[in-house]
Amino acid sequence: MSFFKDRNCYMKNYNLSFKEKWMGFNWQLLFFVCFVVCISLGILYSVGGGHWSPWASKQAVRFVISLCVLIFVAFCNLRLFMKYAYWIYGVTLLMLFGVELFGHIGMGAQRWLNLGVVNLQPSECMKIALVLALARYFHGASLDDIRSMKFIIPPLLMMGIPVLLILKQPDLGTAMMLVFEGAAIFFLVGVQLWKFFLVFIMAAGAMPIVWAHLHDYQKKRVLTFLNPERDPLGAGYHITQSKITLGSGGFWGKGFMQGTQSRLSFIPEKQTDFIFTVLAEEFGLFGSLILYALYMIIIFYGVIIALKCTNFFGKILALGLTVNFALYVFINMGMVMGLMPVVGVPLPLMSYGGTAMLTLFIGFGLIECVAINKEMVIGRLGSIDDE
Amino acid sequence: MTVWKYEKSHEIFIRTIVLCFVFVFISLILLGRLFYLQILQGERFMALAEKNRTAVRLTMPERGKIYDRNGVILADNRKVFQAVLVKELTKDYKKTVENFKKIVPLTEEEEDRILKEAKFKRAFMPVQVKDNLTKEEVVLLHLNAPVLEGIQIEETMIRTYPKKDLTAHILGYVSLLNDRDTDVDSTWFDLAGYRIGRTGLEQSFESILRGKPGYKKTEVNAMGRTVSLMDQEKAVSGEDLHLTIDTRLQKIATDAMGNEAGTVIVANVQNGEILTFVSTPTYDPNIFLSSISQKNWNQLMNNQKKPLQNKALFGAYSPGSIFKLVVGLAGLENGIIDPNKRVYCSGVTQLGNQKFHCWKKGGHGALTLQEALRHSCDVYFYEMAQKIGWEKIIATAKKLGFGQIVDTEMNGDKEGLLPSPDWKFKARKDEWRMGDTLNLSIGQGFLLTTPLQLLRAVAAIANDGRLPDLHFVKKEVLKQSEEPLFNQSYLRLIRAGMYDVVNHEKGTAYNSRFNLNGMKMAGKTATTQVRRISLKEREEGIKKQKDMVWESRDHALFAAYAPTDKPKYAVIVVVEHGGGGSSAAAPVASKVLKEALRLDLEDAKIKSGVSAK
Repeated sequence: MSFFKDRNCYMKNYNLSFKEKWMGFNWQLLFFVCFVVCISLGILYSVGGGHWSPWASKQAVRFVISLCVLIFVAFCNLRLFMKYAYWIYGVTLLMLFGVELFGHIGMGAQRWLNLGVVNLQPSECMKIALVLALARYFHGASLDDIRSMKFIIPPLLMMGIPVLLILKQPDLGTAMMLVFEGAAIFFLVGVQLWKFFLVFIMAAGAMPIVWAHLHDYQKKRVLTFLNPERDPLGAGYHITQSKITLGSGGFWGKGFMQGTQSRLSFIPEKQTDFIFTVLAEEFGLFGSLILYALYMIIIFYGVIIALKCTNFFGKILALGLTVNFALYVFINMGMVMGLMPVVGVPLPLMSYGGTAMLTLFIGFGLIECVAINKEMVIGRLGSIDDE
Repeated sequence: MTVWKYEKSHEIFIRTIVLCFVFVFISLILLGRLFYLQILQGERFMALAEKNRTAVRLTMPERGKIYDRNGVILADNRKVFQAVLVKELTKDYKKTVENFKKIVPLTEEEEDRILKEAKFKRAFMPVQVKDNLTKEEVVLLHLNAPVLEGIQIEETMIRTYPKKDLTAHILGYVSLLNDRDTDVDSTWFDLAGYRIGRTGLEQSFESILRGKPGYKKTEVNAMGRTVSLMDQEKAVSGEDLHLTIDTRLQKIATDAMGNEAGTVIVANVQNGEILTFVSTPTYDPNIFLSSISQKNWNQLMNNQKKPLQNKALFGAYSPGSIFKLVVGLAGLENGIIDPNKRVYCSGVTQLGNQKFHCWKKGGHGALTLQEALRHSCDVYFYEMAQKIGWEKIIATAKKLGFGQIVDTEMNGDKEGLLPSPDWKFKARKDEWRMGDTLNLSIGQGFLLTTPLQLLRAVAAIANDGRLPDLHFVKKEVLKQSEEPLFNQSYLRLIRAGMYDVVNHEKGTAYNSRFNLNGMKMAGKTATTQVRRISLKEREEGIKKQKDMVWESRDHALFAAYAPTDKPKYAVIVVVEHGGGGSSAAAPVASKVLKEALRLDLEDAKIKSGVSAK
């Protein structure tokens, strides 16, 4: 395997020079990420009725800022993240508690934490923090450790506590993503499959209890998803209109800025969660396929970077973040195509929104950091000498 | 590299590959779905998106106006404000109607109709809530717009009848569609506030008067607000109608009827134009356009003189002595009546052990046909009818158009009833007797005729035996009359009798004669029994009509034409329960015919004055 041919070089000195970092940076990945953001800006321009304001221009500014953050994160020492992984996780968890106590309510859910200057969504940050923490946890573990029951309990709690907090906000989409993200990492590091089945069966058993604790609007969403005609003018309206918008694009689409469904506001949240429908309406299956291909290329790069990395922390980190990205894509698309309930997950790099963009770029920054430091040796506890 | 690291690396690699396959699997589902939505279902969704963004509103065509023969407007349209409810613009249309009611009162029937219509109409189609809104109501509705979700105020046209009750039975009225109108094209249901002709000419000329609705196709956004106009077609107004009715004469005839119930119809005997079409009492059709109050409605329904009933069209009466004209003609045609031969009237005809009385106690003595008509002697016709037989009388009656629909342009005309042995056997399970023929000869018994049939028959007699084509709407080309149906010499004899009825001092309608520049009237009276006179009553002496209750008094009829030398107009007057034909009906006919002729002279004078200038 070519990915592993350098595995004997792990004794290298890992304080890389700027030039080495520059050379190790995966520019293709950054190019595709930026390409998707440019498509997003075009669609936001169209959604804005042919104006840069209110969405496209703001998003462009966020893009530039996020790009700087990405590069900054990429050029950090990977060991630093290993060292502070639990700290980052801990602070994010504290912020989640903070939301529970002091957060303000936006869009019917308590998600935002006002930190003086910026409004932050700790649940978004948790998607990265959890990957960091789990990567740190599983970094030094042997397969035997991982397969033992006792060893698996702390990471389960690491995942479970934020999930419960986020469910309480309530934010079904993010909670679901965290569960999938965690489960994917558990799977990747080698937790036996029967344990997943066991959890799955337990979860199925717990369904009625969860159902009883769901908010009315969540129940409605699930019921409406199961039968959109149940409420054609209420919650089902979104799903129905979303499908009409998508479908009416045909193969070539109606043309740039010619989408009637979006222009006449038949789709809700057209600039955020349902932005894919706008693209699909204006550029048809053709445009949709191009975007989908770009997403797959980005995911492919993420996986390749992870496999090329020799240290487990980097491997798990890059894989976890790539899975996180893929989950965004799958859940959002499944949602707007009527294959899943509308749970409020944005389309990564496309949807309008600051926090999601920033966290995604931090994520890609971390993946780039893994790419740069693919040959770094990290001891079980985070140092070189601790072998 | 330590073993555990290698093992772990390998495990992660394998599982990453598995995960990649999962991703591929999910991608296949998503792309398959995308293909299904955009390609397989693409056209359907395109249509749905098109439907989403367009709103088609029909626009009301202006209903054709109706004018009388002199250009006087009889049915007009007036601009009014109406409130419509668009269901898709409100979450709870019932609540909107509830709130509306608090601002502008609605009757229970109106509310029922609105709720029913709103329930069944497509959500974007407006439902009329109320029209004929006053300015104050419009202001109030605008002020309360926040609680009236889905209510829109728009301008529309409403029918109005300036001559009110005068023309009610000619024009009929229009009213909103309801769920019983199953044969009406659905387009019209989509027009909020569209009113369809219900009776009279409004009904029979509906397809001409209503025109063609236009439409406005607009692009609307999700909130239902119009963004732009995409396409439109202007409504095509209905065609105007120019009637043969003379409103002045209509007024004279209506006034002449006073408070009596009945009908007056005047027609031109030469071309069949109907100048007057009166049914009394009448009603104001405008009340059907505002929400008619229950009290008004009950008053109309419970009036024993039945103002809503079009007696000129739907009435069927025994023709009484007017039918003697037919019997006389039948006798002449078949060579049975010799106009110079006298028949003796003793006041009674004995048929087996049954006695048939003449209306004049003691009889008329010996009479010729002309004299028999003049005096309206019953016995003369009893005797003749026995010789002629029912078959020939009915045959002549048929030739004069009895028993057949008078095809005017108004719908709902009746055939009346020409009795025959066959008919009697079927309807009464009894055989035809000579008594029936005798009753037939004086227009009593089973025989039923409509005022229009009587008018047409009299017009034919006056017009040298040609049946006129009675009509209401002015025609460019008049239908050419057919060949005369009768020998002119027979008709002259009948007309001589009719002349005497009015102008001979012994004639039954001598009191109603007139002489306008030498123009005179000829006619025939009829008094028909509504109930049988019992033997006891006959012995006690016939009660005076005035002493009887209104419903059992005789019907008074009079059919006439004028001028006698060159007949132009024919008239039929029926006064229900009016008493005697000569006392109740003939004066009305006389007045109307005289005025008709006088108006003709006046018009000619004005015309010649204009042309002289």
